[in-house]
Amino acid sequence: MPKNESHREPIARERHFATTHWSIVVAAGDASREGAQDALSQLCEAYWYPLYAYVRRRGHSAPDAQDLTQAFFARLLEKQSLRVAKRERGKFRSFLLASLDHFLANEYNRARAQKRGGDRVHLSLDVAAGESRVNLEPAHDLTPERLYERQWALTLLELVICRMEAEYQEAGKARQFELFKDVLGGGRERLRYVEIAAELDMSVENARQGAHRMRKRYRALLREEVARTVVDPSDVDEELANLFEALGN
Amino acid sequence: MSDQSICPKCGEKIPASAPAGQCPKCMMKAGFESRDAGSVDGQATDLASRRSGFVAPSPEELAPHFPQFEIVELLGKGGMGAVYKARQPKLDRYVALKILPPEIGKDPGFTERFTREAQSLAMLNHACIVAVYDFGEADGLYYFVMEYVDGANLRQTIETGGLTPPEALAIVPQICDALQFSHDEGVVHRDIKPENILIDKRGRVKIADFGLAKLLGVAEDGSAVEKPYTVTGTHQVMGTPRYMAPEQMQGSSAVDHRADIYSLGVVFYEMLTGELPIGRFEAPSKKVRIDVRLDEVVLRSLESAPDRRYQHANDVKTEVESIVGASDTRFSVAKPATADFKAMVRSQLKVPAVGLMVAGIVNLLAAAVILLLPTFSKLSGGFPEGLEGFVEGKATFAEATFVSIIIASCSFVSGILLVLGAVRMFDLQSYGIALIAAVVAILPCALGFPISLPFGIWALIVVLRHDVKNAFPDEHAKSERKQTPTGPVSVVGGAMVGGMIVGMVLGTAVDQDKIGEYMVLGMVVGLLLGCVIDANNRGKSKD
Repeated sequence: MPKNESHREPIARERHFATTHWSIVVAAGDASREGAQDALSQLCEAYWYPLYAYVRRRGHSAPDAQDLTQAFFARLLEKQSLRVAKRERGKFRSFLLASLDHFLANEYNRARAQKRGGDRVHLSLDVAAGESRVNLEPAHDLTPERLYERQWALTLLELVICRMEAEYQEAGKARQFELFKDVLGGGRERLRYVEIAAELDMSVENARQGAHRMRKRYRALLREEVARTVVDPSDVDEELANLFEALGN
Repeated sequence: MSDQSICPKCGEKIPASAPAGQCPKCMMKAGFESRDAGSVDGQATDLASRRSGFVAPSPEELAPHFPQFEIVELLGKGGMGAVYKARQPKLDRYVALKILPPEIGKDPGFTERFTREAQSLAMLNHACIVAVYDFGEADGLYYFVMEYVDGANLRQTIETGGLTPPEALAIVPQICDALQFSHDEGVVHRDIKPENILIDKRGRVKIADFGLAKLLGVAEDGSAVEKPYTVTGTHQVMGTPRYMAPEQMQGSSAVDHRADIYSLGVVFYEMLTGELPIGRFEAPSKKVRIDVRLDEVVLRSLESAPDRRYQHANDVKTEVESIVGASDTRFSVAKPATADFKAMVRSQLKVPAVGLMVAGIVNLLAAAVILLLPTFSKLSGGFPEGLEGFVEGKATFAEATFVSIIIASCSFVSGILLVLGAVRMFDLQSYGIALIAAVVAILPCALGFPISLPFGIWALIVVLRHDVKNAFPDEHAKSERKQTPTGPVSVVGGAMVGGMIVGMVLGTAVDQDKIGEYMVLGMVVGLLLGCVIDANNRGKSKD
């Protein structure tokens, strides 16, 4: 799936900002604070794709959506949006969507002077020419909001996987990552430890341990990544549950 | 990656955009498990139990409620409660103690239902069903005391390297036996899945948690309400519905024993292919090399309409066995025998084994007597009546000693072999040694020959029957297993043979006249040494 690499690139590059937390941004509550500004832009970079998908699902063509997303981020970061960012802002995910909605409504009005009502904008057919990933989504039955949440969940998982992969690569264990990555999803019971152990030249027990460690590390990273986007660390479980539901059919 | 694959864990479609090709839902779910990091690997708590708020008490917390047991460890937990390994000091046995989720007791009418169900479960007395010893309520905790199975569940077995088709085909008939038995007793399992199928250290299948699903998931009107898994629910008592029959998933009240046959089909499919039969799945023979006729058996078990499935678990067993028996002899060789069959073979081998044992002991005694004869003769001033002529007729004393040593050695070796073979035969431990012993018994090479001959022929007739070999453990499988401590008979026997040989060499070198005494002395030393080594071995294997 080479096309997909295009959007994985920025995500992979992003991994060294892993310490950025939305809670820091919210706590700072002041756009003039440079750290907070940076933190916000880094978070935005990591999670641009769900917003883009949302804009596309709202019926904008691919070039429009790209422009709108770009413009949105520019506006968000330029303007003093953060001045109003308080604890009530809640999750980063919700904050972004609310801001985007607000932005789209204004831009939209300005561009077309259209209002809500019967003139529902249809998916333009040049979808096929647009972002490859959008085409892969079975999005027809999802509301834009649901699609946004779903994409958010997928993006988050991908960030975690990228971090994980980078960690293993740095440790010179790229092959181990390849062989064990099935434990991250549901494939644990399908891992052929005997074969894996033979390939990695280790004992079966060690292979099982390795898989177990990887799962543990994955869990830690996943929770860490979720923690980046919520205000209070105690919200992690709730957000996980929300995202889990967002992934449902 | 345009084709959508299916998550082997939750059975849902994995979208093409899934990160690393993994099921996103399961990946997200993995984040929840942090609180249960210490749970038993392979029996990790599922989300359902976490969500329902059931936290398994630690063995220490549980101990005050159960003074009659020593709670050893937590074996596993899930939506249906937690299972502990416990010791019953009075009977000096281990039991499995299952604690049901506490909130279940708040359900009005539960106590009555619990008692009724437990009584019917206690009646399920079958070699392939985990026995229920006791049940009750202690300080608000409902519990079952069950047979402790020392082994692994089928899920763990699949995880640690998977099953070969012949192994899977040996397991299925045993599951069928257990199901048929319980269905005849009017008990439907309702939750057949690899986690509930235990395999003990001897390869015997034992099915756990009969009827628990019904007990924990029954509605007021008596219909099954095994609710499908949801993330926000509060009353889950079930895990994922991967193994459930369609009529069960719909919460139909018409769930009968045929639901178990469907679940058996899912387990069967998974054992053969390593995957779950979800969506448009392929026939098993397309994925692994097995007899195509097995496809029909698996697919018919998986029919969504109960009427089109096999109507009895026995039918599945019959089909599998007829296919396996006819198609490939390797299957029948690899087939671990059922406990019933083993008991039958053991009873048939009992008499020949005892006979061989007696003959072996006679041979050993004869060997000792022959070797000590020269000493006796010197002490009493001459050879005993019978042997005097024999010795005088044959040239010199030295030659006579040589001949007697040969006879004694043959007697001794065959004696050891017969005793060893008899023990192995009786325990159904080693087919090879049992066979060798039977052959040695019919060879006229020792003084106990008149005794051993009839028993040897008897043993050979039984041992050479083609199905009897199955009652013994597979020799190949044995060598792959961890080194088991060597049996006491072979250790002691080996040490005795060694002692005798050393005695013979010493005797030849030091004093040829007393060679017999040296050999006997060597044997006695060997016997003592063997006992010491064996005791040492036992000490090690206990660790």
